Amino acid sequence: MSEEKKYRKVKIKAGRGGWGGPLIVEPKPGKDLIYSVTGGGIHPIAAKIAELSGGRPFDGFKSKADFEQIAVAVIDCGGTARVGVYPMKKVLTVDIHAARPSGPLMKFITADLFVSAVKEGDIEVVE
Amino acid sequence: MNTVRQPTPIYEISITAIGPLVEEFTEAGVWVFFRDDAPEELAEFALLHHAEAPREPIAAGQVIEIDGQRYAVTGVGDIANKNIRELGHMVLKANGATEPELPGEVCIEARQLPQPSIGTTLRVWKEASEVC
Repeated sequence: MSEEKKYRKVKIKAGRGGWGGPLIVEPKPGKDLIYSVTGGGIHPIAAKIAELSGGRPFDGFKSKADFEQIAVAVIDCGGTARVGVYPMKKVLTVDIHAARPSGPLMKFITADLFVSAVKEGDIEVVE
Repeated sequence: MNTVRQPTPIYEISITAIGPLVEEFTEAGVWVFFRDDAPEELAEFALLHHAEAPREPIAAGQVIEIDGQRYAVTGVGDIANKNIRELGHMVLKANGATEPELPGEVCIEARQLPQPSIGTTLRVWKEASEVC
């Protein structure tokens, strides 16, 4: 029995009508939170990413975490606020909705950090 | 005895905290509200409050009153009411759009928003005639 947690690399691509990505999410010790900032608990997409990657699901509305601990943030933002905050902090960001770069923080939203309209079928293990 | 029924707003927010980036957002005609349990990184550009969920959905044709100023609601995005109900998260944009550019927005008349302060109130009224 190994004490070591098993992490896997997952690839997340944009869903239909989405933008950005694909992102490669690779949880590591100390940086393995799948940070759900969606309200109403862990979003099913965050749960799926956690299941496939071995990362830890984390509810951003319940507890606090440092950005350095976040492997990927999962949001359900319609395009103004949350859409830009995590990319601005260089945190990989998955949006459930089909948002595109927009809003006051638009310049931070780039395809290497952000992907949108993600459904379960858009997430796959790559190693 | 006659009782006069006082109209009650659909939604009433009193601002409890203002993030450091709110001034810039206000100049861009955008207010972002979150309930005060929102993560710190969102509070940076947000107006915080701890209002109850709206009594009914916010819709075009209603009136938003901010410290006595009236703004007609021109358009409401598809997920705006869900965000408001679940997270106290409202994105208010003073751009007069009838078709919001983004699904999370509540659009109102294109007039300058005031710089908010702690205690600034925002009320949503179903009918313009209800605004006290």
